[in-house]
Amino acid sequence: MKGKKWYAGLLSTLLASSVVLGACGGTGDDKEKASSGEKVTVDIFQFKVEFKKQFEDLVKQYEKEHPDIKINVKTVGGGNDYGAALKAAFSSGDEPDIFNVGGPSDVQNYREYLADLSETKAAKAALEGTLDSVKDGEEVLGLPFNQEGYGYIYNKKVFKKAGIDPASIKTYEDLEKAVKTLDSKKKELGIEAVFALAAKEQWVIGNHLANVFMAPDFNHSVVEAFNAKSAPFTKSEELKRMLDLQAKYSVQPVLSLDYSQQVEQLFSLGKVAMIQQGNWTYNSIYDIDPEFAEKNIGFVPIPVEGFEGKLPVGVPMYWAVNKKSDEKEVTAAKEFLDWMYTSDAGKKAVLEDFKFIPAYEGYDTSKIADPLSKEIYKYASEGNTIGWVFLGSPTGWQEGVLAVNMQKYLSGESTWDEAIKKAQEAWEKSRQ
Amino acid sequence: MRNRDISFWIFLTPVLLGLGLVVIIPLLFGIYYSFTNWNGLTATEFLGFANYIDLFKDEEFRASLWFTIKFAVVSVILLNVLGLGLALLVTQGMKTSNFLRTIFFMPNLIGGLILGFIWQFIFVSAFSGIGDLLGIEALKGWLSDTETGFWGLVILNCWQWAGYIMIIYIAYLENIPKDLMEAAEIDGANSFQRFKNITFPLVAPAFTVSMFLTVSHSFKIYDQNLSLTGGGPFNSTQMVAMEIYKTAFNDNQMAFAQSKGIIFLILVATVALTQVYYNKKREVEM
Repeated sequence: MKGKKWYAGLLSTLLASSVVLGACGGTGDDKEKASSGEKVTVDIFQFKVEFKKQFEDLVKQYEKEHPDIKINVKTVGGGNDYGAALKAAFSSGDEPDIFNVGGPSDVQNYREYLADLSETKAAKAALEGTLDSVKDGEEVLGLPFNQEGYGYIYNKKVFKKAGIDPASIKTYEDLEKAVKTLDSKKKELGIEAVFALAAKEQWVIGNHLANVFMAPDFNHSVVEAFNAKSAPFTKSEELKRMLDLQAKYSVQPVLSLDYSQQVEQLFSLGKVAMIQQGNWTYNSIYDIDPEFAEKNIGFVPIPVEGFEGKLPVGVPMYWAVNKKSDEKEVTAAKEFLDWMYTSDAGKKAVLEDFKFIPAYEGYDTSKIADPLSKEIYKYASEGNTIGWVFLGSPTGWQEGVLAVNMQKYLSGESTWDEAIKKAQEAWEKSRQ
Repeated sequence: MRNRDISFWIFLTPVLLGLGLVVIIPLLFGIYYSFTNWNGLTATEFLGFANYIDLFKDEEFRASLWFTIKFAVVSVILLNVLGLGLALLVTQGMKTSNFLRTIFFMPNLIGGLILGFIWQFIFVSAFSGIGDLLGIEALKGWLSDTETGFWGLVILNCWQWAGYIMIIYIAYLENIPKDLMEAAEIDGANSFQRFKNITFPLVAPAFTVSMFLTVSHSFKIYDQNLSLTGGGPFNSTQMVAMEIYKTAFNDNQMAFAQSKGIIFLILVATVALTQVYYNKKREVEM
């Protein structure tokens, strides 16, 4: 702990001093230009707020090693805001050299700006399957940030006290049994409810929960989902019973329960036994109870018939290079991305500072920072994964249509069949 | 004469330039884009009225429009009643009235987003805590259904804006000539009669202003909506501004969202201006 604080202090001093230095840099620039010919400036526009500081530090390090390159980092947070800001940047002509794309629909929207990255070292080192959604023929149009995964994060202490072996939970029936056991011992275990279902967050139910039951329909392929004219929902009943189970045994009312209540107020404080979430929650849990985070949490996969014991793992975002920038900038941008993911210094930062689950070969995976990520990497390297097809559904459909209709079902406004039918119709309409 | 003309235009230029650059030109562009298939980057096709025809078939847009209208009607009435009530309270010449004015106005100084989050905590956690303690079922589960979401928004909006509207009413209340009131009192009018026959007609201009402000504000509300309910559950508490934003940035249908925006502009302008026209007629000249 102490070491960590000292480290954070160092980071912030570094950052502060770099700001000061940066401010003085204005006049220094011209001198350098005169001496070393030309300085190439690369503008990066990225979305991941969580690692802004660490990323900027890495950029500083790169600039030190490569004095002829200057990198400007701009960060705008959160899925939709980033999309809007990026669009604004492109339509105003202030185009970045490196930016982020989320999946096939972004690739389609920005196709004319995307440079081919298939010759980069990073693209060659990318793990199998992680490039599928950004491939166009032989061309590779993006480089994966990292891998992320989700499932039921459970409280090991509570499970032990209740006498449940999490490894034995494979099928839906197993899960149901465990949930009922937990529910009957609520008082002894000191929990409010078994689950905390954050049904207010449309991405929790619409993206993540629905995804595991939709992925088999599209052979776990984002691209197949992206090209599909309709959503078959062959596992609609399974999705329904899983949603019902979570909603029934959750802290009520689920429709106003949000992410911070779910993760911070309820799970981190030990008031519920399980939540459906991913490895990104680790820092929040750690902030509240470091010991609990380090030792007492793990994953139980969401049981899907025929795909038991598999965890949904995917790439949330990709780096893209702007083809329409100057040739020098494009080269510099590619070199930077290569350096970040394949050089030793870069690899170290990716694992230890960014705390990423690497999407590339050649990493010392024993250094993965937290237990949730470690577990995900294990599932991923063993090939026990379910695809993230929700990145290939029509824009806005997963949250704006499917999740909304699932909420309607939860509130009793509509039946399950109506909800699914509406979602299917909207999918077909947008893929006409 | 000619000199004055030139200087007149010179002095006006900065304002006209600003207005043109940030209001008029974007509006014209917006109107043009709403007739195309603009996706935020390029417009390749001229569609005529197709977007406008589609938007009347859009269930979600209609639902949010209806929700907004209900919200606006309730808020406008409550806000004006509360604003006038508070104004009457703090013009009674109490010792604490200056202090109270400050307190009532304070919520208006806090940003809508933050207010939304504060009230979300109050509705979801504090309300259910009190409900648990006292066994009042009605206080539990706020914001988890459409009805409590609606009233949550109304309460938040009133809490934030009543103080502002109060200030406007105070200005007019304090301008009512004392001699009129005294004369009425001597003639034997009780306080209700004085309010009904003197105060009320004389603050009519304040009504015009307050109505205009509350109508346009209640229709265009976005930040409070976003942070309090986020449109949920199932988008049933989603107001028009939010629906338009989602169409544009979540569904990526820029031109369609633009056409919704134009319709929204026409609607708000019509309601607000009609209201001004009728209220103006009622005003009494002193």
